Amino acid sequence: MLPHSLNNVWLIARREYLERVRTKAFLIATVLIPVLLGGLVFGGGYMAQRTKSSAHIAILSYDPAFAGDLKRELEGGKDSDMQVDLEPLDDATRARLNAEIKDTTKHFAGYLQVLPPAGGSVRPRFIYTARSASDIGTDTALKVSIKTVLTRERLSGRGLGASEIEALLAPVEIENPETGDTTAAFFAAYVFFILMYMVIMLYGMNTARSIIEEKSSRIFEVLLSTIKPDEMLAGKILGVGAVGLTQVGVWMLAALILGVNFAGAITGTGGHAIVSATQIAFFIAYFIFGFLLYSSIAAALGAMTNSEQELQQLNMFLVIPLVFCMFMLLTIIKSPDSALSRFVSLIPFCSPLLMNFRISIGAPQPWEIWLSFILMSLTILAILWVSSRIYRVGILMYGKKPNLPEILRWLKYS
Amino acid sequence: MSLVELDRIRKVYGAKVAVEGLSLSIEPGTMFGLLGPNGSGKSSSIRMMIGITRPDSGSVRLFGKPFERAALPRIGYLPEERGLYKKMKVLDQLVFLGQLHGLEAATAAKRAPAWCERLQISEAIGKKTEELSKGMQQKIQFIAALLHEPELIIMDEPFSGLDPVNAALLMDTLLDQRKQGRAILFSTHRMDQVEKFCDSIAIIYQGKLVLEGAMREIKSRYPANRALVHFSGDATFLEHPAIARFKTFAGGAEIVLADASDPQLILHQAVARGTRITRFEIMEPTLEEIFIETVGENVAA
Repeated sequence: MLPHSLNNVWLIARREYLERVRTKAFLIATVLIPVLLGGLVFGGGYMAQRTKSSAHIAILSYDPAFAGDLKRELEGGKDSDMQVDLEPLDDATRARLNAEIKDTTKHFAGYLQVLPPAGGSVRPRFIYTARSASDIGTDTALKVSIKTVLTRERLSGRGLGASEIEALLAPVEIENPETGDTTAAFFAAYVFFILMYMVIMLYGMNTARSIIEEKSSRIFEVLLSTIKPDEMLAGKILGVGAVGLTQVGVWMLAALILGVNFAGAITGTGGHAIVSATQIAFFIAYFIFGFLLYSSIAAALGAMTNSEQELQQLNMFLVIPLVFCMFMLLTIIKSPDSALSRFVSLIPFCSPLLMNFRISIGAPQPWEIWLSFILMSLTILAILWVSSRIYRVGILMYGKKPNLPEILRWLKYS
Repeated sequence: MSLVELDRIRKVYGAKVAVEGLSLSIEPGTMFGLLGPNGSGKSSSIRMMIGITRPDSGSVRLFGKPFERAALPRIGYLPEERGLYKKMKVLDQLVFLGQLHGLEAATAAKRAPAWCERLQISEAIGKKTEELSKGMQQKIQFIAALLHEPELIIMDEPFSGLDPVNAALLMDTLLDQRKQGRAILFSTHRMDQVEKFCDSIAIIYQGKLVLEGAMREIKSRYPANRALVHFSGDATFLEHPAIARFKTFAGGAEIVLADASDPQLILHQAVARGTRITRFEIMEPTLEEIFIETVGENVAA
């Protein structure tokens, strides 16, 4: 038989867990979130590929050879899929094309005039007359293609052969035999970040909600006649947290099963898994700590408020640190081991997300990792202490929203 | 051994004194009425009794020992503010609450249906709370307070919102518990509800004890100076020096006698004036009247 108080925590946590896992909402979220997220990631990638410019334009050039090269590049190049007409460079054509631009029944985006170099420049002048000023895709495609064609022309002028030029212009690839494909590894770390962010957000709020549920159904008074507020809070946080872990566990397992097929396709050969066992271990450790940390904040918020609406007003306390982490993520991506990165990743509210991310993409010292766990533990204990005080007093003083001096006074009550 | 002993407990919330120097004790096998108007400190006192809050000063003893949480599973509590988990099935809920009070899950699962049958809500046992009527939910909570067979049962306004038939059913159950030797603390502002059943009472008003003791003893302190008269015809007999004040209603009057006067005189005057008397009853003051009298004195002092 467990000691009385541990047994209480266990009973509360188990009820919380079972009641939540049995709901349809849990099942739906477990299935739907990865589907949506996957859809977003893959769909987004697919859309990005599909947004090659496919505009219909005309080129009016003084140099037919250049115009021909540019047409080829624009129609069959890497970044564009345009339809290009070659037209003579004269006023009649310009007038006709200007009319065509105004005719909205036609899919004509604009025309590019290539004029002879002037004022001592070696480059021709380019004037693009477009229907829409905001057609950035076409604009960019034109710039890139013109540059490629010009480079190619210049190089061939220096006597290089076509195959040599193509080899020079090909994108650079860096091989990384030690760690495998960096893009994929970065992508995996990023997915971990998003996953943790979402789950903390979702289940942190669930903890707060479940406390409010108890308050609004007023069942806590019966519960408090045998158990202590700290036991109740601990049980709730553990119970809701276990639901979160279960959900992430299901997702990871599914990813693992799918991943066996996928990983080969993404990384090709080389045998490096995108996600290492260490990464997963740290993810779980940081997830647990991060969850406990944010749930205890949420528990304090739940203890202070009496309804969902009031909670909504306070949930910025939960969101702001998370959003701060999002911002800091950019800093860390650029230089994972800079002084600033090291500092922010040690802030307890950020460690779960940022230190974990640094472990994936940077090289934090072991003492930094230890320190982050120690700081998080201390913070969790401090917040729990505070929230169980607020809870104990707050639930017995319902009806009125407390102000800050009142909350501070509550901390003194035992 | 007293089950509960409060010794001069005091609780202050901010500027409001909720309970001031309250002392009382509850004996086994008795029904104890904690009475007083709304907001007089009944619930605050109960909360201190069972450790939901701690008194600012004074002491609480349970089952003859200084307060300890280990004693709490021996108490069954029905709070005034009621609540159940809305989405949880009734049986699961009763088992969960039973377990929190130290029952084995199997024992709780066996007792719960028997209790539901006894309180005539067997059909509720497989349903979720939110599907039940208010009265049914109240019965479920009533069961939850009794399932672990506590030695001390604390009921805070147990009948509020119940129809008379169901209130009587619950009262019978409580009387039955008393017969089995359990003590019941019954808190209510409806003094008429408990008059007949309570062995002892404590009346509190504005956080302070105004009256405490055995019911019989308290009643005997106040003379039977009330009379109820049903009559037809001339009502002028009510103008009599033996009558301090009276209230009439259709076909009768409630009379408060002047000190030390003989009610026979009134009856005599009525008969002399030809009024037909169909009922004449000498009555003890009700608890409510005693309360008003006592508080009135206190306010005056």
